[in-house]
Amino acid sequence: MSELRKDIINGRWVILASERSKRPDDFRPAQSTPEGPPSGFCPFCQGSESKTPPEVFALRKPGSRRDRPGWRVRVVPNKFPALNRGLPPERQEDGIFQWMDGIGVHEVIIENPDHGKEIFDLPLSQVQDVLDTYRRRTDSIEDEFQYKYVHVFKNKGREAGASLSHPHSQIVATPIIPKGVNEELYSCERLHRLYGECIFCRIIRDEIRRGDRLVMDDEDFCVVTPFAPRFPFELRIYPKRHSPWYSTITRRESASLAKTLKAVLLKQKKVLADPPFNYYLHQGPNPNLPHEAWVNLEKSYHWHMEIIPVLTRVAGFEWGTDFYINPVTPETAAGFLRE
Amino acid sequence: MRKKILLVEDEKNLCLLYKEELKEAGYSVTAVLDAESALESIKKQSFDLIITDIRMPGKDGIELITRVMAMRKDVPIIINTAYQSYKNDFMTWAADAYVVKSSSMAELKAKIKELIG
Repeated sequence: MSELRKDIINGRWVILASERSKRPDDFRPAQSTPEGPPSGFCPFCQGSESKTPPEVFALRKPGSRRDRPGWRVRVVPNKFPALNRGLPPERQEDGIFQWMDGIGVHEVIIENPDHGKEIFDLPLSQVQDVLDTYRRRTDSIEDEFQYKYVHVFKNKGREAGASLSHPHSQIVATPIIPKGVNEELYSCERLHRLYGECIFCRIIRDEIRRGDRLVMDDEDFCVVTPFAPRFPFELRIYPKRHSPWYSTITRRESASLAKTLKAVLLKQKKVLADPPFNYYLHQGPNPNLPHEAWVNLEKSYHWHMEIIPVLTRVAGFEWGTDFYINPVTPETAAGFLRE
Repeated sequence: MRKKILLVEDEKNLCLLYKEELKEAGYSVTAVLDAESALESIKKQSFDLIITDIRMPGKDGIELITRVMAMRKDVPIIINTAYQSYKNDFMTWAADAYVVKSSSMAELKAKIKELIG
């Protein structure tokens, strides 16, 4: 069982995975990690279903059997999860130290059966399948109130943290609201009071009006390089309809997001020579929880997607200060991506 | 008929120790010191079980698993490593068991028994 511990100084919770024989050099340089097929074996490929834990969800051909081929998207629990499902953990205290059991959910979303097809190579209907799976798993996990925050993310490429090249995303649901999300929620509450509207709705309006950081725009979504990005070519996909929760996305919006996501990832691939990247959803905490802490959550927060191509390394300055140096202005990045 | 185990362990003394212990437990053991030799052995004969270390010179255990699984998906594999962190690598999912090395071989022996009797 892993454990969550709170840093009393900055309020950040960390997950300590239970490990019996951790050694100081217990990590491997990324370059020695193999990526699986075309020549080798991959546990996520069609036909290898027996090598993963039993699936918890799949979009399948009618008549195909669970944990057998015939799926389009398949979700399995992480075999060695950072957090384990369980009852709501009790927060424990000993003087200044606070901790709790590592209760949570850790799932892997295998995006398609074909090892060689990244999400941007898929037909739009299959991209929509993946996005729909994000929604359905989020919804299902949020039924259990001990999971306060559901984080959906994708790591593509070794430098972005993926250990296997078969396209996959992950979901980690935590028993606390992570510090970064918490800060964003509070900030949105404050800004909502200050400006009298959702700050994201305002950003969307202003970015579309200015246009210099706008990469794409349609009826349902816009893609922008944020005003103060931490990383070169960092991107945000904003839905135009205000909602704090991704799970409220409609079928039409989902089709539209599939189109936007595929297009922007293809642009990024072309302009930046197929970079490793991370993307993740930022959304409100579990809607089934009481939100005393965020009185105006429904009005003040706005779900969105953030995409970060891995082009630079976070180093001493950034680690030490949480203060980022970005060599590319967002206006320049947007210009390249619009071309 | 003794069940045949292929043991891949780059640390010579440990390799010898495991080999002796497993022989005493009633298994036929082929022990090799690296992944290349393991692949050669697999091409020449069939095994009921493969036990592999992860961190080895040359091809590591993860790469060995990838290659073995491409050839023979049916052979059970036990990862026997001093490190927990390889659990973050999804390829380790292909293995049937993940044992962290300790001074006792009890867990390893129990997993072997579970998988091949």
